[in-house]
Amino acid sequence: MTADAAAAARELPRPTTGTPRWLARISVGRLLTHATLLLLVVLWTFPTAGLLISSLRDKDQLAVSGWWTALSTSLTQGVSRIGTAADQLEDGGRFVIRGNVFGTDTNKQLDSFGLTNATPAAAVAGQSLPMAAGGDITVQRDGSFEWVSATAFTHTRGPRVFYVASIAPRFTLDNYVEVLTASNVGRSFINSFTVTIPATIIPILMAAFAAYALAWMRFPYRGTIVALVVGLLVVPLQMSLIPLLSLYNNIAQAFGATDGKAYLGIWLAHTAFGLPLAIYLLRNYMAGIPREIMESARIDGASHFKIFTSMILPLSFPALASFAIFQFLWVWNDLLVAMVFLGAQDSKLVLTGKLVSLLGSRGNNWEILTAGAFVTIVVPLIVFFSLQRYFVRGMMAGSVK
Amino acid sequence: MHKYLLAGVSAFAIALTSSAYAQELMFPKGEGAFSWDSLQAFADAHKDLSGQKLTVWGPWREGGDQEMFESVIAYFEDATGVDVEYGSSENYEQQAQIDAAAGSPANITILPQPGLLADMASKGYLVPLGDATKQFVLDNHAAGESFVSLGTYKDAQGAPQFYAVPYKSDLKSLVWYSPDNFADAGYEVPQTFEDLQALTEKMVADGNTPWCIGLGSGGATGWPATDWVEDIMLRLHAPEDYDAWVSNELKFNDPKVVEALELFGWFAKDDKKVAGGVAAVGTTDFRESPLGLFTVPPQCFMHHQASFIPTFFGEGVELGTDADFFYFPAFAGKDLGKPVLGAGTLATITKDSPTARAFIDFLGTPISNEIWMAQSGFLSTLKSANVETYSNATLKGEGQILLDATTFRFDGSDLMPGAVGAGSMWTGMVDFVGGKSAQEVADAIQASWDAIK
Amino acid sequence: MGDVFGQVLSAGFAIAVALAAAGAYFWGTNWLLDKVLASTPRMTSGEMSRRDGLRSSIRPWLFLFPSLLFLAVYLVYPVLETFRLSLFDKTGRGFIGFSNYLWAFGDGNFQQSVLNNILWLLIVPALSTAFGLVIAVLADRLWWGSIAKSLVFMPMAISFVGASVIWRFVYDYRGEALEQIGVLNALVTWFGLPPQAWITIPLWNSIFLMVILIWIQTGFAMVILSAALRGIPEETLEAARIDGANGFQIFFTIMIPQIFGTIVVVWTTITITVLKVFDIIFTMTNGQWDTEVLANLMFKWMFVNFDYGRGSAIAVILMLAVTPIMIWNIRRANAEEGTR
Repeated sequence: MTADAAAAARELPRPTTGTPRWLARISVGRLLTHATLLLLVVLWTFPTAGLLISSLRDKDQLAVSGWWTALSTSLTQGVSRIGTAADQLEDGGRFVIRGNVFGTDTNKQLDSFGLTNATPAAAVAGQSLPMAAGGDITVQRDGSFEWVSATAFTHTRGPRVFYVASIAPRFTLDNYVEVLTASNVGRSFINSFTVTIPATIIPILMAAFAAYALAWMRFPYRGTIVALVVGLLVVPLQMSLIPLLSLYNNIAQAFGATDGKAYLGIWLAHTAFGLPLAIYLLRNYMAGIPREIMESARIDGASHFKIFTSMILPLSFPALASFAIFQFLWVWNDLLVAMVFLGAQDSKLVLTGKLVSLLGSRGNNWEILTAGAFVTIVVPLIVFFSLQRYFVRGMMAGSVK
Repeated sequence: MHKYLLAGVSAFAIALTSSAYAQELMFPKGEGAFSWDSLQAFADAHKDLSGQKLTVWGPWREGGDQEMFESVIAYFEDATGVDVEYGSSENYEQQAQIDAAAGSPANITILPQPGLLADMASKGYLVPLGDATKQFVLDNHAAGESFVSLGTYKDAQGAPQFYAVPYKSDLKSLVWYSPDNFADAGYEVPQTFEDLQALTEKMVADGNTPWCIGLGSGGATGWPATDWVEDIMLRLHAPEDYDAWVSNELKFNDPKVVEALELFGWFAKDDKKVAGGVAAVGTTDFRESPLGLFTVPPQCFMHHQASFIPTFFGEGVELGTDADFFYFPAFAGKDLGKPVLGAGTLATITKDSPTARAFIDFLGTPISNEIWMAQSGFLSTLKSANVETYSNATLKGEGQILLDATTFRFDGSDLMPGAVGAGSMWTGMVDFVGGKSAQEVADAIQASWDAIK
Repeated sequence: MGDVFGQVLSAGFAIAVALAAAGAYFWGTNWLLDKVLASTPRMTSGEMSRRDGLRSSIRPWLFLFPSLLFLAVYLVYPVLETFRLSLFDKTGRGFIGFSNYLWAFGDGNFQQSVLNNILWLLIVPALSTAFGLVIAVLADRLWWGSIAKSLVFMPMAISFVGASVIWRFVYDYRGEALEQIGVLNALVTWFGLPPQAWITIPLWNSIFLMVILIWIQTGFAMVILSAALRGIPEETLEAARIDGANGFQIFFTIMIPQIFGTIVVVWTTITITVLKVFDIIFTMTNGQWDTEVLANLMFKWMFVNFDYGRGSAIAVILMLAVTPIMIWNIRRANAEEGTR
């Protein structure tokens, strides 16, 4: 492509003085350019960065403080119910109840504690407070407490101890573990791949041929068909759902199956939904291939079919790859079509559906939300970043004339 | 490249995939207060179903309810040898309708909205259950007549048929609170509605926030407010008014309904009475809202919500000690008794099969109720279910209220047609809390009801 | 576990079958065509050219047939079916003519949706294209440009569900006394102002939702415009620089006119996407607080109220609204044909 050559040739003029080249390149204009772009990129990335940071935080912290505070120690107030009379031990003539207000949590450090909601900071760690049920309680920095009384305890309802604690910032992969081991997440990963890969490959096969015909063959109504394809880009998906599902069910029942929800159905559906864009992109790209290449092949006696398979297809690889990326992203991230055509039984749910069900049932578990969202993002990002060099070349297909 | 990715992820995922097959039985047979003979009797009556399949679609999703329902299904599978597949999703009502319309429904569909089921019946998507099942419900469920009429809808030709059996019920006229917080602050559980209002004002005067109210629920945002309004309707006006309201004989913008809306607004539209202020009411998720009862210091002291909510209180909150409920009181000044608002899920057959019929029968056995009763969040109206199986005293108390109910009414918005009860009433409540007047909102909802007639 | 292997195997099998079938079909039909309608040396030259002509007029249809079949079944048939349903009542059995359309134009929700859609159409494509253009121009000139472009494109790889979670963390609202975990409210409270429930404020909430779509679509615009920019001959730019033009002048007087065609195509493509978008509104507000748009309204009438008549009517109106833009797009596509 000539544009590539032009880009490669673009370079700033060399300075003729003795100043280092990088210094000479610095100018207010360039700095401004860098700064503006940096600002825009930061604006675009920080929401996703926020999500990533949140997903790595401890779940108690993430629901109560913003992700930008992730690196600082936060203060929290909590309450713990301590033992009843049944938990007491006799120790050297005194009656003792021991335990830890933090339970098994090791991330916290007690600053102060108290016995009522209004006074969680009545005493600092290490001090004692008198208890209404008799005796004194002492709570240490690590949360362990000792409640001592000279007479036996008789209470049946554990009293509450309130505390103010500092939580050191804690980053963990626990949230991811929780999401990934949630039932059937692994299966939904596989389901997503099962849906996406055939649905990416099959449309390419059909669209490539159609695109070639529309680009280089002459026949009546060619313009009409191109118009039809472009027009179909506009059809909203939701409209097709019920007529198509009914059709599938009718066909399935004709073959004796219980219903039409199978992978074949969803592959064909995604293929069809992706065809307009595929044909549009590929046609534009193929139309840009220099006609001389084909002319010379024609003169050599090659048929359309041969030209197509041996020359056009390889040359169109960037466009094919970039459509494949678009289609992969679109199918992977799709929720509606998968829900309707595949169903939501556990064994057939795709990953996005799984995430939505996790969101729905644990809407207040932000740690599931964040980690889950990132889990769905990770595969498309890998696909995108590994194949993105085709993108630029392929996307030139779209519209450069 | 894709292929390598697929292979790698497959290997990784296979290591992680948990098996959803052949679930263990949660409670060993023969132990506990369960009615094991009912299970045996059921198994004996349904011997010839081994190896067949059954699909069930219901409202219970991950995070607690789904696992508990699956533990019940395990007993059905054990007794009959049927392979059951259960599914649900965030928009399960829509999915059920889409599947029914397209001809691929599950065998059994369980929904909590009789209004939606009536819609489905009128389109011919439900299979009539027959007189034997109808008689069974009449005889064996508390308030059996109410449930029979709840499960009866007009079919595609306009003739009423019996389609749905009740399974899990919820009690709605409850207010949740922390007994310790009440004791610490010197508050007492109110016995009358007047006392409740006085207590609310006292809490505000003390500098505390009385109520946690959260209406957020994704596409269903607004539904908790409908519970409030229905409970208040039952306390302000006679049950006959309630019934007329649900069938639209009493118009939605009738002064009686507007009065109920405004009384709800007395609680929810005052920044000092609601945790987070009025702006938080419409945006806080209903599952996050009760957590305000247990924070230090507490964000609120009372939360009006149905009996299923303890599932969302979080670990570390013990029912009975850390959290308890009291009955949402009635007015002492009106002579309307102690009305109770409830709701429940109804099981229907959307694709007939011998396994589906057997499953409906199973839901009528005491054991199918008891397995879930022994866990959490399930209330049974089946008279033969042993109340001793309730896992704690709180549930038992709720269950008893349900069984003893005299004035018992079903959730109104679930009875209204889908476009109103699952549509304009929900959005109307959000608008109301967002600032619109009660009259405006009532007029809009009535207009939407007129539009679908 | 066998179930999983079976599934993976069937996927692999499907791909293999599809490749084989495509190969067989295309190669097979072409071969058949050439065989059956071969031009043998025994024919006269007139016959031969007729045969040749016959073959080359049939062949395009062979290439096109599978695609046309799929398009007809999966897209054309539902469109026609939708149009048909829009003329019937909610049960699908009673013909009521254009009543649904009359209802739509008189319905408050519909009118609100139309207003919102117009707002979306005015703001989102323009801003996405503008930002995309600016970033493309800036990134092309700097050494870290491709990293920048990848980062800006990244939101396009994120599903709408993921995006809604991400932006929940931006727009979240807690009560005034509580600590804010949403970035916007944190910023606002840092300046001493009270936090707001952003997605409930009428008009502004639509704009906040639009920000999400702009965030996603800018990457798309940027990639295409970046490619187009590279097509501008270097000599033109050099000449302008030598003449003393500064960056801005070059941008407005040379770059934009040169790639104007691409800008238009990008703008129209994003416009079509904007009209179809419903996931963002569905997951963030579900149309509450005056954010309703036509695509979401259609979804509600179809799948919540189960009135296919009205839902279909809204769908048809939506498609008709896009038609002018679509025609323009087609005209440009056909104009490009003329160059060959």
